[in-house]
Amino acid sequence: MAKEMIAMLLAGGQGSRLYALTQKLAKPAVPFGGKYRIIDFPLSNCVNSGIDTVGILTQYQPFVLNEYIGNGQPWDLDRLNGGVHVLPPYQKASGSDWYKGTANAIYQNIAFIERYDPQYVIILSGDQICKQDYSDFLRFHKEKGAEFSVAVMEVPWDEASRFGLMVTDETDRITEFQEKPKNPKSNLASMGIYIFNWDILRKYLIEDEEDPNSENDFGNNIIPNLLRDNRKMYAYHFSGYWKDVGTIPSLWEANMEVLDPEHSGINLFDEDWKIYSRNSGMSGHKIAPGAVVENSMITDGCRVKGTVKNSILYAGVTVEEGALIEEAVVMGGSVIKAGAVVKHCIVAENAVVGENAVVGAMPTETEKGVATIGPGIVVGDNAVVGPNAMVDKNVEGGEERW
Amino acid sequence: MVVSNKSAMGIIFPNSFDALIPEMANVRLMASIPFASRYRMIDFVLSSMSNCDIDNVAVLPNRKYHSLMDHLGSGREWDLVRKNGGLSIFPPYAESAKAMNTGRVGQIAGILGFLKEQKEKYVVMADSNIAINIDFKAMIATHIASGADVTIAYNEQAVPESFVKSDNVNKDFYYSLTIDGGKVKKIYVNPTDGGVQNLSLNIFVIARELLIELVEVAFMRGQVHFTRDILLNQVNHLNIQAYKFDGYVARIWGINSYFEENMKLLDDYNLDALFAGGPIYTKIRDDNPTRYIAGSKAANVMVADGCVIEGEVENSILFRGVKIAKGAKVKNCILMQDTVVDAGANIEYLIADKDVTISAGKEMKGTDSYPVYIAKGVTV
Repeated sequence: MAKEMIAMLLAGGQGSRLYALTQKLAKPAVPFGGKYRIIDFPLSNCVNSGIDTVGILTQYQPFVLNEYIGNGQPWDLDRLNGGVHVLPPYQKASGSDWYKGTANAIYQNIAFIERYDPQYVIILSGDQICKQDYSDFLRFHKEKGAEFSVAVMEVPWDEASRFGLMVTDETDRITEFQEKPKNPKSNLASMGIYIFNWDILRKYLIEDEEDPNSENDFGNNIIPNLLRDNRKMYAYHFSGYWKDVGTIPSLWEANMEVLDPEHSGINLFDEDWKIYSRNSGMSGHKIAPGAVVENSMITDGCRVKGTVKNSILYAGVTVEEGALIEEAVVMGGSVIKAGAVVKHCIVAENAVVGENAVVGAMPTETEKGVATIGPGIVVGDNAVVGPNAMVDKNVEGGEERW
Repeated sequence: MVVSNKSAMGIIFPNSFDALIPEMANVRLMASIPFASRYRMIDFVLSSMSNCDIDNVAVLPNRKYHSLMDHLGSGREWDLVRKNGGLSIFPPYAESAKAMNTGRVGQIAGILGFLKEQKEKYVVMADSNIAINIDFKAMIATHIASGADVTIAYNEQAVPESFVKSDNVNKDFYYSLTIDGGKVKKIYVNPTDGGVQNLSLNIFVIARELLIELVEVAFMRGQVHFTRDILLNQVNHLNIQAYKFDGYVARIWGINSYFEENMKLLDDYNLDALFAGGPIYTKIRDDNPTRYIAGSKAANVMVADGCVIEGEVENSILFRGVKIAKGAKVKNCILMQDTVVDAGANIEYLIADKDVTISAGKEMKGTDSYPVYIAKGVTV
């Protein structure tokens, strides 16, 4: 049965700038916002936008991600016709290949897309936090009679040279594409979310694959080729919350923004645009007598006996008596032992911070580092972890790690 | 599992003991009464079954079961969507007056056709007035090893004084057992003795074929209750074994014990005991984590996801989606799903059912022996 539009979600990113967090985890599987993983956002956007067929392109550390996606039921994507499919690189009669680039990943799955005979294909990125109505984006694409549309955000002019920029005319038609230019002619940054007419995408993917000099990348190859041929390309202005959480500071910051939805615009309480996730299934959290919780988010299964300020505790975190947590992101199942001080940092899943240990420090004028404790790491009693530390090996009791 | 000498199916009676808690069972049945911040009573016994490979479960409601149907859905959350077996809900046929009766005999008689077609050797039967995390595998193994016809699970517990003294005429039955060397020698209906007794949990293991045989005979004789009319009469003919359950039991006797059993879970020792076995599953709501806004205060509370707390809350159980506005004070309360306590309201010893709103500035207080109950959807 033909689908109007299906989604292809690029989830192969290694996320190397998240260091300890992504050593054994694909970036889209990185936990976010108390009970979510990054990939919950594009998947929930799809189902909320009426897209019921999603291909997820993975190749780096796929186990957690594959298990997490499962049959897609938490996102209502377990469908008789369509649904969610994880698409790793596979062996073909002519040999096998890793996904060489973003465009090559889609190229290798042309057969998958053709099973659904779609008119349009939306290409999504698995490493952004964004609540976006893709059906409105498609409406724009159709109204413009476009062959290709890209979602863009206005960014401050002084930051524009960090992005891929779309230069447009007064009808939003794209006239030029600048990749991280020194002298930006536009402040419309590409969000890496594209809608293609499938026949056009197919044609350019095949053409790109035949070019031995191509990097097989959407930004570097496909989009310039479309421009070269004067295709009908339009920029769709998006003004909601969007954040690339590719670095430790940006991941930390995006988590903190969840605490302040009134100002940041990332409202997870929106009944009309729910973000779905695979549930922990734990019982309600407990705040003990004598505990202090200020301006924080606490998830099912947490036990709080210490002090938690301006922080996010994911499912099943334990905070023992006398522990102090401030401006911290503490992921699922971690234990912060008695008297430990955990500040301005990210503690990944199932880590242990020992008694009276110190992790991170509140930022100063000169020192703004976000200390990071990797998943499953044990920080010994009385150990000290400095604000710039990236801990991916256990820290012995009393040891210092900077 | 298609055929096995060890396998068991489950039967749950969700309406049992509705009469004990008329306030809450007015809009629902015992099985769908919210408990422990994010669960419904049936979740405990149903999850226990699922965790013990009992993946063919029949639920036999006889009235007010819409909330239960909504809660259970296809049974997916309990991993009970199966080609063979899975969750089956058998509401009564409207024309069959006999199926409406509350006794187990009539209810089982109503599904005899179904029961005869099943492949499992044993049946595990349970009510849903008890929150329990029980290892049915161990109980079934004991049943098989003892060669019993019927095994009854019991715990050592006192019947609440208020319950014994009150008029029992319209209430459901409860049973205590005299046990000799593991064998049940006597069964007492609604015992009025004080003190700790061997109190039946109304959880049974019995061979499916024997259950069918006993129920067929009893139904023809117009008998109603499985324990009172079948087991009690045949206590010397059947080999009835008692199985002592030492784990945590939260048994609902009425609105007061409902309040107490919830509050007991504020003690981590009790909460851990109840959840010590397998995981307890429930319907997923996809709430976001709970948000404590600057200026809020919380002490000694159990809170589910999806709440927004701006005011003060102490010694309370909050279900999913509760909102406590600025300046509101909540103490010793149970607030069910999506209850809203508006700015400056002050409540104590209150059980608010789903979707209750306590308007701004209102003050409302019960006492520890008499918590005030506010019905579903009411605005105070």
